[in-house]
Amino acid sequence: MQIKIIIFGQLCDLLGENLVLDNIADTDSLTAALHRKYPELVNTKYMIAVNKKLVVGNIILSNNNTVALMPAFSGG
Amino acid sequence: MILKKPKNIFVRGPVAASFIGASIQKHNTKTEIGGHSIFLGQVRADVIEEKKVVAIEYTAYEEMAMEQMHVIREEIFAKYQLSCMHIYHSLGKIAAGEICLFVFTSSPHRKAAIDACSEIVERIKTELPIWGKELFTDESHQWKVNK
Repeated sequence: MQIKIIIFGQLCDLLGENLVLDNIADTDSLTAALHRKYPELVNTKYMIAVNKKLVVGNIILSNNNTVALMPAFSGG
Repeated sequence: MILKKPKNIFVRGPVAASFIGASIQKHNTKTEIGGHSIFLGQVRADVIEEKKVVAIEYTAYEEMAMEQMHVIREEIFAKYQLSCMHIYHSLGKIAAGEICLFVFTSSPHRKAAIDACSEIVERIKTELPIWGKELFTDESHQWKVNK
């Protein structure tokens, strides 16, 4: 399954603003695929949001999910 | 579940002093209010390794930020006896010295307004998906880290 990902903050310097990955079933396999493709990410702290909710643990993904990669917030 | 549509807290560009003044003026009909508390975030010209920050460029995951702000808003209203709460956060390039965050709370007695305002500012900084990119004079950048 193909997953579209939106990227924010300093992660854009590394990944660009959008990313599409194939054969991703859940957020754990998403992280694994990202780390294979972008080894720099392994030592980078970031959060994953699925449908605007922060992911805790592993979540099964489906085609219509909105997946976002977000570094630590720095608003204000 | 969100019943009301989340309010948009984002403004393009800096928050103008005249807008802040007008916001205060609008409350003169709400005579149950006894105190206002206002926090204004201003872009600071930090110097990092001899390079000066000239602006911060803010981006956000706007939809998620507005939903999260809606949750914060409801929790703050439940916790403090507030008459009103107004929040504006800038997006885009904000020059050093300009206002990028405006939090405005009002209550019948001062303590609720002051405490709520302070708590909202902290929660905005830690819970809203907003990012600041510090731009230097030589057009290089670094990403802001909240303390």
